[in-house]
Amino acid sequence: MSLNYIIAMLLFTLGIYCLLFKRNIVKMVIGLQVLTNGLHLFLISLGYREGGIAPILAGEMLGRGATAEFAAAAVDPVPQALVLTSIVINVCTMALALSLAIYIYRHYGTLNPFQIRRLRG
Amino acid sequence: MIAHAPILAIVVPLFAAFLTPVVSIVAKRFGVERARDWFVVGAAILMLLIVASMVPAVWRGEVLVYKLGGWSPPWGINLAVDGLNLLVALIIASVVSLIAIYSVVYMERDNGLEKYYTLLMLVTAGCMGVTLTGDVFNLFVFFEIMSISSYALVAFRRNWDSVEAGIKYMIIGSLGTSFILLSIALMYGLVGSLNIADLAGKIATIKATQPLPMIVPLMLTLFVVGFGIKIAMVPLHAWLPDAYQAAPSAISALLSGATATVGVYAMLRVSYMLFGALAIGTMFIILGLVTMVVGGLMALVQRDLKRLLAYSSISQMGYILLGVGFGTAMGIQGGLFHLLNNAIYKVLLFMCAGAIVYRVGTSNLDELGGLGKNMPITATLFVVGALAISGVPPLNGFASKWTIYVAGMEAGQPICTAIAVVMSALTLAYFLKAINLMFLGQRPEHLREVKEAPPLMLFPMLMLAAFCVVFGILPGLGIDLVRPAQSAVMNQLGYIGSVMGAG
Amino acid sequence: MEFGPGIWGPIVATAVMLLGVAIGYLLLSISRRYMVPKPSVEKLRTYACGEVLEPEEVHVESEQFYSPIRRVFKPFYRFVRPAHTGILSTYLLWVFVGFIMILIAIVVALR
Repeated sequence: MSLNYIIAMLLFTLGIYCLLFKRNIVKMVIGLQVLTNGLHLFLISLGYREGGIAPILAGEMLGRGATAEFAAAAVDPVPQALVLTSIVINVCTMALALSLAIYIYRHYGTLNPFQIRRLRG
Repeated sequence: MIAHAPILAIVVPLFAAFLTPVVSIVAKRFGVERARDWFVVGAAILMLLIVASMVPAVWRGEVLVYKLGGWSPPWGINLAVDGLNLLVALIIASVVSLIAIYSVVYMERDNGLEKYYTLLMLVTAGCMGVTLTGDVFNLFVFFEIMSISSYALVAFRRNWDSVEAGIKYMIIGSLGTSFILLSIALMYGLVGSLNIADLAGKIATIKATQPLPMIVPLMLTLFVVGFGIKIAMVPLHAWLPDAYQAAPSAISALLSGATATVGVYAMLRVSYMLFGALAIGTMFIILGLVTMVVGGLMALVQRDLKRLLAYSSISQMGYILLGVGFGTAMGIQGGLFHLLNNAIYKVLLFMCAGAIVYRVGTSNLDELGGLGKNMPITATLFVVGALAISGVPPLNGFASKWTIYVAGMEAGQPICTAIAVVMSALTLAYFLKAINLMFLGQRPEHLREVKEAPPLMLFPMLMLAAFCVVFGILPGLGIDLVRPAQSAVMNQLGYIGSVMGAG
Repeated sequence: MEFGPGIWGPIVATAVMLLGVAIGYLLLSISRRYMVPKPSVEKLRTYACGEVLEPEEVHVESEQFYSPIRRVFKPFYRFVRPAHTGILSTYLLWVFVGFIMILIAIVVALR
């Protein structure tokens, strides 16, 4: 189980490396996405339970009225809801960032942040 | 109080945002394009009335808890309005109404305005959501709504400087909000709850165990850095001068009045009430002093008016952090009163800068001069704003800065007060430079035909200047406004009891 | 407002300031009754030893406006001002430096 957490933190660190040390705006945006993917993996792994079932109360369990047994065996649904919300927010952010990158290329001719520095001081 | 007032205050701007394109299409069909602008102004004023209706109940001392969907905390999302929330909600509602009236004239030369008004209402909905909520993931979602809409508004005009400022603001801001998400994930993993009141109780029990688990400082740091990027604490402030310089002036006013206020509120709520960590006040004092000094000294050597106002914003945020960091009743009152005053005079100054840009076309101080004869009312209002921000009596800046100075002396830190007083003098210095280079002196030939700003643009500026004078002559009024907020900040147990007790 | 060592009475202070302005205006109007100043256009112009100066030449350059203050705070302007390079990657490095500093400060404060 801890393998998930290690991979999530590894993705987070790789995303931060990509944000800090790459010299292209599109690569920075990709780094931001890798970072948030690591966060989502971390959030989902928090809710996992060994040998758990999907958190949908239906079928024969509902007929039996066995809610306590369901609650003891189901995977936590709250982190899944949080991650879905966060994925939607990230789609919006990435769309806006990439459209801004297109405008920057149109105005500056380059995507290197070391050369996009007309506003300084 | 209007029924369901807390949720209506968030829903009205959200629905106005979704209805604005529809109103725009209908208005264009009937040939009355201005109808969409006035629709947005009406929605903002309606929101102000809804927030004002919550005032009597909250100032009596009760915490309004509104359960969404009937689910009681801590299993459902709830909105909790106490004194601190209400102060910030009042500031945001007033600032957004005045900026909406100002934008009717200022943005009339641009096209694509229905998108501008939609984004403006979305920023407002995000700000109100962050302010009124009692659930930490709900805070994150509304914080993202506010931030993403403001990234798009900064880059609204799609010039070379707007796009550069937009991408810098966007990448630094997104890093900040992903830190906040990581901290929320860690918090959920540690205690399994997302409600602010519930988390406050559970983290208090964890903090009481010795030794302190390493994860609690890490969570608090991630929150402070995430919100610190929004309020531009040094060294997280680098996006702010570019964004305020390149955005349309109405949006600079909105960013400095509304989103910075919301950032300070979120920082206070999470660090002082969720973590109960009044001990980090010392860190706030040191960071506040550094922010004040860096902002002030950088503003002394700027060429561009809006960039000078941006560094001045950073400096004023340092004062607020200084006041809040003292931790005493007077310190927090001073910090919150300065937050209120900062919203008033910063929005006034950015609106004056916008009036100059609207009439002349540039905000570069080297190309302006002698406009005092052409634009007398704008010049007078800018001088009022400049005197207010420098802390000259009898305007409102003096009252809040005096409270912070006395709080510093009473807390036994005379060095902080000394540095704050010196930076106040330097604030007056760079504003006198701006006034001299813009309004006094000789007027170049190409500026001979510049006219005064239109009256609809002058109306919000006059109202803000009137507030400056009123809060200066009657500072007791300001302290009365701020006292419920300050007692709410220091009353963590009361908040927990009210929210969990309503369940 | 009453604070520890002193009292600030804003209404009284504003009234005194307005009284001062009124007295000044009264004195000015009394002196105007004896002679109204009417300087010629030549007297109003900035004196430059007889030369004619354009407004653009007289305008003080905005960066050099406070050169004495720049000289006093020289260490600041030598290191901190060029550090605002305008490069996005540098700004992100600052965010991380700030993160480490705030982490150390909070660990020390909460212990």
